[in-house]
Amino acid sequence: MPSKVKPRLSRGVLDMKFMQRTKAKVAKEDDDEQSRALYSNELNQKMLNSNSNFIIEPSYSICAGLIDGRLSFRGMNPELERLMELELAEKQGRTRPDQPKDITDQEMAEAYYANQAPAASKTMNKKFATKNEFNKRKSNDNPKSQKKPEFKKPRQDDDDDDDS
Amino acid sequence: MSTNTSIIMPGERVTIVEDAAKSKRIILGPGLRRVDEKVVATKAGPLRHKEPNTFWVDNYQRRYVPARGDLIIGIVKARAGDLYRVDIGAADLASISYLAFEAATKKNRPDLNPGDLLYARVLNANADIEPELVCVNSNGKRGKLGVLQDGFFFKCSLNLGRLLLRESCPALAALTEELPYEIAVGVNGRIWVKAHSTRETVGLANAIMTLEQAGYAEIEKICGNLSGVMQA
Repeated sequence: MPSKVKPRLSRGVLDMKFMQRTKAKVAKEDDDEQSRALYSNELNQKMLNSNSNFIIEPSYSICAGLIDGRLSFRGMNPELERLMELELAEKQGRTRPDQPKDITDQEMAEAYYANQAPAASKTMNKKFATKNEFNKRKSNDNPKSQKKPEFKKPRQDDDDDDDS
Repeated sequence: MSTNTSIIMPGERVTIVEDAAKSKRIILGPGLRRVDEKVVATKAGPLRHKEPNTFWVDNYQRRYVPARGDLIIGIVKARAGDLYRVDIGAADLASISYLAFEAATKKNRPDLNPGDLLYARVLNANADIEPELVCVNSNGKRGKLGVLQDGFFFKCSLNLGRLLLRESCPALAALTEELPYEIAVGVNGRIWVKAHSTRETVGLANAIMTLEQAGYAEIEKICGNLSGVMQA
């Protein structure tokens, strides 16, 4: 017969050193339950279910987006001006996409394909090639790959990798 | 920020906001209150809107209402055990722990005396408990916060403080052309300025105070005349 009462950990167990986190969690649950019970007769269905489109913000600073009011100009307080500069830099970093680009997207794409496209198109071609073509190219590209791989003793004086 | 502003009065329904709320989430700032699905103004003044979805009322006010995250200037009033009581222009004195300063420990207390000026952040703002301030950021660093030494301090309306702190405000840039200076503007309507000489400092303060009644539209024109004000 399943009982409705949730199993609770005894105080002795909760006081153990390794149970501190659980103890805090249990205490919070108890607290929540108590406050729910306390206000349950005050809350009505509307308060629980209504979702409003309004957010209340009591601060003018946040509403109007006011800046910090501590300012220094023309070297009056160098320490403060350094802080202001840092803040400005951070702000500009956040809005970097608005800055004009040195290289347009068009140029970037062209440069990218000039450098990268051979490799990319090769990869894609490989995907659509027939098996016959594939084997042919493979033998053309590096005929040595047919050779059985074997261990080569590295030269001691040289760390350049030599294929031949 | 939209330029076509409409003045709204307390109790008035703000249909512009209600219409906007049908399609997206809306942030209601100070001076606007939601009553079920209606939006009602609680303060008198121009309705401001910031893209994409923020609305608030920019009313004229001199009493500061603490809000979490605001940067304010406070005056140390007294020391009470582990706390300092700080006047921030709100209904109640704020408190700041002696540990809420950079590199402060129980042994190494900050040297604060009644009358000192603090540039601090509001950590905790609740109608039922007194506001709490800090002078460090979440990393324990001082940043721009802390005690303000020397200089000249004056009070103004909350609007002037906010006016100066708008990102596009030309006033501070116009003053920079006149002289090097340092300034702290609290959104609680308190301003502290410091320049190289007393004469310059007072001129600077006067120049800022002439902006008190300026709207967003006139400010450009006044900024052109600021140098004249400073000579006087």
